[in-house]
Amino acid sequence: MACLHDHSCEDHDCSSDWSLYKHIDIPKVSALNEAVPGSVKSVFKAWEQRLSSLEGFLESNEGDPELIVFIPFTSDVKIKSISIVGGADGTSPIKMRAFINREGIDFSDAQSMQAVQEWDLAENLQGVLEYQTRYSRFQGVGNLTLHFPDNYGGDMSRIQYIGLKGEATQLKRDVVATIVYELMPNPSDHKTKSETGGGMSHVE
Amino acid sequence: MVLEATMICIDNSEWMRNGDYSPTRFQAQADAVNLICGAKTQSNPENTVGVLTMAGKGVRVLVTPTSDLGKILACMHGLEIGGEMNLAAGIQVAQLALKHRQNKKQQQRIIVFAGGPVKYDKKVLEMIGKKLKKNSVALDVVNFGEEDEAKTEKLEALVAAVNNNDSSHIVHVPAGSNALSDVLLSTPIFTGDGEGGSGFAAAAAAAAAGGVSGFDFGVDPNLDPELALALRVSMEEERARQEAAAKKAADDSSKQDKEGASSSQDATMSENVATSASESENKKDDLMDDENALLQQALAMSMDDPATTTVNTRDTDMSEAAADDQDLALALQLSVQEGAKDQSGETDMGKLLADQSFVSSVLASLPGVDPNDPSVKDLLASMQNQPEKKDEDKEEDK
Repeated sequence: MACLHDHSCEDHDCSSDWSLYKHIDIPKVSALNEAVPGSVKSVFKAWEQRLSSLEGFLESNEGDPELIVFIPFTSDVKIKSISIVGGADGTSPIKMRAFINREGIDFSDAQSMQAVQEWDLAENLQGVLEYQTRYSRFQGVGNLTLHFPDNYGGDMSRIQYIGLKGEATQLKRDVVATIVYELMPNPSDHKTKSETGGGMSHVE
Repeated sequence: MVLEATMICIDNSEWMRNGDYSPTRFQAQADAVNLICGAKTQSNPENTVGVLTMAGKGVRVLVTPTSDLGKILACMHGLEIGGEMNLAAGIQVAQLALKHRQNKKQQQRIIVFAGGPVKYDKKVLEMIGKKLKKNSVALDVVNFGEEDEAKTEKLEALVAAVNNNDSSHIVHVPAGSNALSDVLLSTPIFTGDGEGGSGFAAAAAAAAAGGVSGFDFGVDPNLDPELALALRVSMEEERARQEAAAKKAADDSSKQDKEGASSSQDATMSENVATSASESENKKDDLMDDENALLQQALAMSMDDPATTTVNTRDTDMSEAAADDQDLALALQLSVQEGAKDQSGETDMGKLLADQSFVSSVLASLPGVDPNDPSVKDLLASMQNQPEKKDEDKEEDK
């Protein structure tokens, strides 16, 4: 579901549309299978700098094109569309799968879980393609996980820019601290139905 | 103080009966495991450690990652030796156990004690290593027991495949008079990637070497780990605070040169920074006296002793703000004086304010105020007129 962004950017300021990067909690952004730890932070920048690779880019390890990018936000956001600028020579990702509000997704989880939405990507080297989301599913996003399972045949995958378009609300999802549930089962806490005389009431 | 979840893979195969490490390979391994668990839980209270055995009837998880040291030590009792070590399965089960850790923010680490021979191919081990690297799991391998070139090569290849930015290590411990745990103390497995080491490791190393008073702060971390941890944390906080204060003082000195007070504060600040810097450099050679002095300072600060740096930082804030804006300085004075007014009776205040020498001494003690400043002088004059005006009003009302 790609739509072409085919008007010249002088007419209106594209950069204000793609400003959701300001609401990303950059220090907590992480990626799995990145060649240089921490390089994932460099792909979130302003629209104007989407093609410049001054700050570096996100590259996967040699021989393995899979990538997972975990993006936490500073407040809940609604994501309207996503833009990806990949690398040349087949290093652009060919497919993207998104998961929302799940922490700690690794490759085995990503492969077995049903994604919230999946897209087939084109080699978008100029950054003019954007991929719309099913907006109703992307309301109240506290964190976003993007899984790129494959690329266009290159030895490794390269991503130069990830742009997000949408709105930021000022709300924050309820952060529940790590709860330790009961360490040892306490039978008195769990009254089974047979003990309390059955769950069904019957009239005789 | 990296937040980490660790799984330790113990080798309890037949090869562990050998006595070339005293008293037996298995006992030496158990001691080393105990030491590692202690070090991990001390370096960060939220760290968790789990243990599994690789040989015996099969790979068995003895305890899932927990921060309860007692549980970990208890499960090491009654372990039986037998069977053959299954390295690949052990690492994979460890990875699965780490995947289901409760706190997803923890970094994942596996520590493998490889005593028996390794029957897997180098290729298989490299694949496993790549998978660990892909899921950002770090791996430490302790190669002891059987000495075999093929085994060493395979383990080196495994660690090289996992290694990402020097987070994974391999240590070869040959048989000899040194205990396994002593050799491990000096390796990166204990010192945690050169983060300055845990005080535990340093203390234990000093004790092992027969050092006189190698314990930080004169408290044995083994006897009272909580106190040692609290003291170490307060020391680090004090250091961080001093560095922040020194930074601020440096900013101030570049902004304004008027106040003699702030320059003297800078001097004290830089002194403190120098002492703390020298402290961090000579950690092991520190004499008890230096540590006591800094500890005194930390304790004094926590008790809000006005002679300490805390007040100096507050003064710096005031002077910095006041210097920027003369109006702000006046407002500050007024608010201070108004506060004083509210407390005491009006007539008393009137008398005090009328006493110009008192007022000027008060103003001089306020940071950021130069009594010879013309605007301050005007204010003083107006203050003196005000009490007179009030007296006039009162007479009129009557």
